[in-house]
Amino acid sequence: MPLDTSAYSLALLRVDGRRWNELRRIHAQIRTQAAADGSSYLEIGHTKVMCVVTGPSEPGSRRGAIGSTGGGVGGGAVGGGAAQSKGAEVAVSIVIAGFSSVDRKRTARGDKRILELQSTISNALAASLHTHLFPHSAINISLHVLSQDGSLLAALINAATLACVDAGIPMTDYVAACTAGSTSTYAANDEAADPLLDLNHQEEQELPGLTVATLGGSDRVAVLVCESRVQVSRLEGMLAVGVDGCKQVREILDRVVREKGRRMVQEGTVEKGVGLNDMDVD
Amino acid sequence: MASTQHVLLSPAELAYLHAALSLTPPIRPDGRAPAQFRPLVAETGILPGTNGSARICFADGTEAIVGVKAEVERTRLVDGATAGTEWKEGGSARGEGEDDDGGDKAGDSDWVELTVEIPGYRDDDAGTAFLAAMLSEALLADGAFAKRLWINRRFHWKLYLDVLLISPPLSYPLPLLSLTTHLALLATRLPRLKSEGDEDPFFDDDWAAARHLFPRSSSSTTKESARPPVTLLVMAVGNNIIFDPAKEELAVADVALAVSVAEDTTAAATTAATMDLDDAAAPAARSLRLLSIRTIDPPSRLTPPGVPNAANSAYGATTAQKQPEARTAEAEAVEGVWRAPRGGAKPLVMAALVQKVLEKGGVADEILDALDAVDLG
Amino acid sequence: MPREAEPSLNEKQFIVQALGEKLRLDGREFDQYRPLELTFGDQYGVANVTLGKTRVLAKVSAEVTVPYVDRPLDGVFTIATELGPMASPAFEVGRPTETEVLLARLLEKTVRRSGALDTESLCLVAGQKCWSVRVDVHVLAHDGNLIDASCFAVVAALRHFRKPDTSIASGQLTVYTPAEREPVPLSWLHSPFCVTWSFFGDDGETALLDATWAEEQVRVSSCTVSLNRHGEICQIAKLGGVPVEAVALLQCTAVALTKAKEFSTFLDGKLAEDAKRRNKGGFMAELSSENDR
Repeated sequence: MPLDTSAYSLALLRVDGRRWNELRRIHAQIRTQAAADGSSYLEIGHTKVMCVVTGPSEPGSRRGAIGSTGGGVGGGAVGGGAAQSKGAEVAVSIVIAGFSSVDRKRTARGDKRILELQSTISNALAASLHTHLFPHSAINISLHVLSQDGSLLAALINAATLACVDAGIPMTDYVAACTAGSTSTYAANDEAADPLLDLNHQEEQELPGLTVATLGGSDRVAVLVCESRVQVSRLEGMLAVGVDGCKQVREILDRVVREKGRRMVQEGTVEKGVGLNDMDVD
Repeated sequence: MASTQHVLLSPAELAYLHAALSLTPPIRPDGRAPAQFRPLVAETGILPGTNGSARICFADGTEAIVGVKAEVERTRLVDGATAGTEWKEGGSARGEGEDDDGGDKAGDSDWVELTVEIPGYRDDDAGTAFLAAMLSEALLADGAFAKRLWINRRFHWKLYLDVLLISPPLSYPLPLLSLTTHLALLATRLPRLKSEGDEDPFFDDDWAAARHLFPRSSSSTTKESARPPVTLLVMAVGNNIIFDPAKEELAVADVALAVSVAEDTTAAATTAATMDLDDAAAPAARSLRLLSIRTIDPPSRLTPPGVPNAANSAYGATTAQKQPEARTAEAEAVEGVWRAPRGGAKPLVMAALVQKVLEKGGVADEILDALDAVDLG
Repeated sequence: MPREAEPSLNEKQFIVQALGEKLRLDGREFDQYRPLELTFGDQYGVANVTLGKTRVLAKVSAEVTVPYVDRPLDGVFTIATELGPMASPAFEVGRPTETEVLLARLLEKTVRRSGALDTESLCLVAGQKCWSVRVDVHVLAHDGNLIDASCFAVVAALRHFRKPDTSIASGQLTVYTPAEREPVPLSWLHSPFCVTWSFFGDDGETALLDATWAEEQVRVSSCTVSLNRHGEICQIAKLGGVPVEAVALLQCTAVALTKAKEFSTFLDGKLAEDAKRRNKGGFMAELSSENDR
């Protein structure tokens, strides 16, 4: 086992020197690309993703563009009986670059794991976006993974949220995501195990963990994905830490958006609107 | 793929564009000169996890990222006959490597794998495959590139180039992808070899000591320094030759070519040898070599033709007249009525296109100079 | 692409309103499963599961093949799910729908990745020969809660399955027919079961177990928890949908654990029953005690 978890109990420091409740550095930008309706770039530690949103647009035009991919999973059939025709369809396509992991690996686009990620992101966002305002249209979210170091799903959700904000699609609140783990191995039921916030790749390989995404600052969980064996008793602690981490991530995302907005007002790209007054933009 | 993308322009708009581009000098919709490239933003070394990476943003918002990864791979021994005879040269030749054209440093085109990802297109889409083939064809055309990946007789570097288009494909992405690939390769560094001869390769851990795949000589332009090729998109409307066409311009192209050029290192080497003394005075002229030409099927062929007033029933043409009229309208051009180009390009135009790319101080020269200026980190 | 007819607005409203009044269409409690039935086939490794009107058949087969180059010490274990037009007209052969992909992934994560089957025990000769165990899941009728039913069928079929006995003598691999030697069960480590919650209402405040197809079409989100009876979570999947309070999810997992334990006891009982049925006249018992050494 490359990760020596026994060292943790000595200094309570993780492999990369963080404490149990520390996030890695999150750096995000929005409006990174002029050609798209919305775009974002997000780094969580060494995990780097880019997101480009086109739409809401006529779904027909997407034949030649995003939609023809076998990977684009339509997630329209989600949300209180919203028929596909009644709300905008949220189509997500993910490209994992061959150079993103340590060993060069090419991921086929029909890979079930990627399809699952796509459908998760699509369903999570569809519940937060006001898709009913754009009937008979499509929102295409295309995500690029440039570098992977754990917490991939969380990074993808955060980047997609930011890009949707940039695209100006009305939404209830941010969907912010992060991962949480536990220092216990799956079999051991040791009560002393600490929950951990924001797992990197190494920790993800060795320790049980889960990805949580919450809506806004609330405790309401939009996405909860756990792919490793863990004792039921560990779940509560991990979930609590994860939800708390999501709140921190939401603040960071919000700061990025406000900062960009403030700068755009300063540069005169956009006029300072009436609604912006209560956003302390000055 | 993108070359046959649907163009949402009416025949009247197409006719206008075509007319404007056929003028001498042509008037381009964005006011560029015929040989002028769109402004671009380029950076390298954006991904520390790769051996080399680059990102280029064109002014129209299209953006591409290229990452290069290298892995050591065992060479399949093809000729067992010569295997034992001459392995003395191996490791020592690597030091000053490049201009040494020792015969046993043969490369194999399998050593390079290039993939293109266009969002929204399947990776086995014909257009994507064509783009990948064009890019790797240019790279491997002269066989010199694969030679750089030679480690020793038993091992070589396997180079993986992953070309990602980040933005939706607004214009035909070939030049963008090619320039980004060029930059990424320039920035690519391979760990310094510590082992000697044909033993199992063993590398220096120090990334600072890593060598560039395309070494930059200190006096950058005067000494010949090999560079990866670039592929340019050139199109012709009438007798006008237009570089880096935007989507609308490509929609009225009579002919579109993808031309791959590289610096002619062999020629440069000989001139450098003869003019060794006064190479400081030698101008920055590089001789360019044509590597490949591919015709691109321009989307203009699929555009609907305009209907001249004479054949338009709204302008009093009767339906009886319409059929034969329409046929003659196809044969002869009516001023101001769009007609999709038929047939191939004139040989003269083709020759002029290639000439224009290769000429000294021409566009290819300019591009290479511009890319030279990018800081390789 | 054929699409399943959606319930009408009236139907939807009716279901939701009834749920608001704590009533389900079939009169069940919110945390009550439909009657679960399990029958084994005459062959080893065939399990037929019915859950109300949902019916799933799982069949296990094994053959000797070459292991993957990167894992020379592991056998091959695959779970194949195919939803055909037999289950529902919305499913087409050869074009996986979202439901199918998610079902396949869930089974994969629940059974394969959680290490329920010891794949190392499938290795015969390192790097050369191994068993390839394949489970085919056939959905015969789809009336909601495919995931729980399929997972139960897969686990039941795998635990019921016996692979031919083998021996290696001087590098020679011999596979014995059932007549020569009694087939041996797979090396099974733990039995995970899926429990799927469906959420209803604007904030997902109503949670149901074992939703029927009509209920599934109306639900706003769902969460599948896979557990074994030792209280280990193997997988949780709440893939989007309307957000649900974290506390409610924790309660759901707690209830899911009791359900998983019930499944486990039920399956153990059925397996014992089947073993007794097969063991006619105690002949097999004699044979197996001989093999046990």
